[in-house]
Amino acid sequence: MSMVSKRILKEVDRLRQDPVPGIVAEPIEDNIRYFSVRMNGPNDSPYADGCFTLELYLPDEYPMLPPKVRFLTKMYHPNIDKLGRICLDILKDKWSPALQIRTVLLSIQALLSAPNPDDPLANDVAEQWKTDERKAIETAVKWTALYAERVVRNDVAKRE
Amino acid sequence: MSDCHSDSYMDEDYEEFVYSEDESVVSISSDSSNHGQVRTRAAAAAAALATNGGAAALQSQSSVPAQSQTQYSADLGYDDEDDDFFGDDDNDFARAIGTGPIKKAWAVDFKVYDPDGLRATQNGTVDRMMPLLAISRDTTTLLLRCYLWREESLVEDFIADPERTLAKSGLSAHPIAPRIESGNEAFTCEICFTSGVDEQYLGLTCGHCFCTDCYATYATGKIREGESWRIRCPAPKCKALLGEESARLLLAEHKDVLGRYEDNLTRSFVNDLDSFTWCPAPNCQYAVECLVPRSAMMTVIPTVNCKCGKAFCFGCKVDDHMPAPCYLVDKWLRKCKDDSETAHWLKANTKECTKCKSTIEKNGGCNHMTCRECQYHFCWVCMGPWNEHGQQFYNCNRFNEDSSKNSRDSVSNSRALLERYLHYYTRYNNHEQSVKLARKLLATTEKNMEQMQREMTLSWIEVQFLSDAVDVLSVCRTTLKWSYVLAYYMMSDNQKIIFENNQSDLEMATEQLNELVENPIGQMSIEDIKRKIIDKSTYVKSRWETLLSDTSLGLQENRWQFED
Repeated sequence: MSMVSKRILKEVDRLRQDPVPGIVAEPIEDNIRYFSVRMNGPNDSPYADGCFTLELYLPDEYPMLPPKVRFLTKMYHPNIDKLGRICLDILKDKWSPALQIRTVLLSIQALLSAPNPDDPLANDVAEQWKTDERKAIETAVKWTALYAERVVRNDVAKRE
Repeated sequence: MSDCHSDSYMDEDYEEFVYSEDESVVSISSDSSNHGQVRTRAAAAAAALATNGGAAALQSQSSVPAQSQTQYSADLGYDDEDDDFFGDDDNDFARAIGTGPIKKAWAVDFKVYDPDGLRATQNGTVDRMMPLLAISRDTTTLLLRCYLWREESLVEDFIADPERTLAKSGLSAHPIAPRIESGNEAFTCEICFTSGVDEQYLGLTCGHCFCTDCYATYATGKIREGESWRIRCPAPKCKALLGEESARLLLAEHKDVLGRYEDNLTRSFVNDLDSFTWCPAPNCQYAVECLVPRSAMMTVIPTVNCKCGKAFCFGCKVDDHMPAPCYLVDKWLRKCKDDSETAHWLKANTKECTKCKSTIEKNGGCNHMTCRECQYHFCWVCMGPWNEHGQQFYNCNRFNEDSSKNSRDSVSNSRALLERYLHYYTRYNNHEQSVKLARKLLATTEKNMEQMQREMTLSWIEVQFLSDAVDVLSVCRTTLKWSYVLAYYMMSDNQKIIFENNQSDLEMATEQLNELVENPIGQMSIEDIKRKIIDKSTYVKSRWETLLSDTSLGLQENRWQFED
């Protein structure tokens, strides 16, 4: 077995045995390189109540090249564009072969709580974020309610 | 690479002593490894400290005796007289173009390096810096590369705070020599997740270890992308740099990748230094070093001659463009690209409405024109207003002094500018074509030379004057071509008239030489022809030198005003 697929198998194994809280990543059917991801929005963010779906693909050169990740759920976020593409340094020039699917997904989750409108991918969203942050966050909450799956959390349940 | 040494002393592996002016002993050590660079025996590291930036590397190569080095570094600049700087430049063309032993006003100092020479230069700098910094060779090399070979600022920073200087570049003061280890049960490669006693692994000063297979694959990928010394440890966000020793260790079994790595290192050396550039000729692997600073290129045209035969401008990489400075050349080429074809067509096929200056093409009909833009009625023949023609119907045989003059005066400024441009462009283009034809001429000349050898029983060397004359022609035509660019942007004044006189002298002489060369075998005896051609060549050359000296001095003195 090649070094590459051994690594992928191990990663899948670890993701199953020791899942990242709030993130589920599983290979789709018989393609070990193609993952379906479900990610809960971080608690302290406008995305808190949503569960978002993403797709993740490991190219042949993985882990020398970064995985390709994209949101399938419509997002209102300055670093995520209409097609769900994500602007994140570790997915581009800051990629390191010692990073893993796990770390990539955690970074994406962190990006949801810390949008960076100064380095935008969706220009209109970024502008809204900079000129009227309150309204931008409102829209993000609205979009989350509109497009994302609803997450039932313990604390949320208690409040209701 | 042997051809680069072919005509110089460098091939031989010998050392000789030369007495310099102040009687101090200077040794010339010559083998392929140091590329025939001449070095003072007391290549004191301290002397390197007294110089600035990339110039330091250069100084060590010159044969300036230790005592006079301080003075040399004091007036270090593009106008330095350092005869040994192009000591190994034996190429005839270099001499023809004025960079021979006697320095001309327009000549700049430069040195051509082959890949081995470039490597030797880098090694020489590292050798000089190592005792100063007192750190390992690998670390010194990396530091120098991080500082883009600016020795002075490196030493300054290093003396002030060695730890910080090293840390900034992801290095450590006391690195353990890189080696491949194994036999560690606790080791797991974070890239392939394999672990065990059998795994061979390597780590940089940062302590992040990865198995050699993954490390090599990682480094190979980076090298294929063109990276060399900027390859970092594969751990996320780790700044540690992969040194040359580690790279050689990792890639010991991948000779091709290692070769590529070495090439990338040399490439980045040339690219990182402002004083170096690659020869732009296709497939040429030489690099040229020249110390003319960017700021001086408004007035100096740093024309250099590569060993491959290409003469080009160090500043803008365009083929030899003396006597026009780079910024005018750039402007001119841009302009030609933008307008030339359109301008030709407009000139041949259109006129301008004398009232609104719209460009009009007459594609049929009578000469009574009505401008579509401003509804002005005029006569296509005399460009005067139509109403003056009265009932005579485009019969404008009568030359009406006033109205015709008015309309001609009002032929717009833009058309006058176009005329002016076309005047210079035609001449520029003409010489450009002639340079191309000169290549054809060379072929005919060679035939003529053979004929002469056969018919007049002359030896090969006795007919060389013909091909020499063709060489002179090409060089002069190139200069003439660019002289029209200079003239185009030059404002009219008395100084311009002097320039134009020089230009026309050269042009006339060049044309005469061209005629002589083209039909050498005629009524005259071979001796007559030979004498005539040699005389004319010498004269042309002297006119050429006059023009170049004068323009290079004039540019430096700001003798001319140029249009923006």
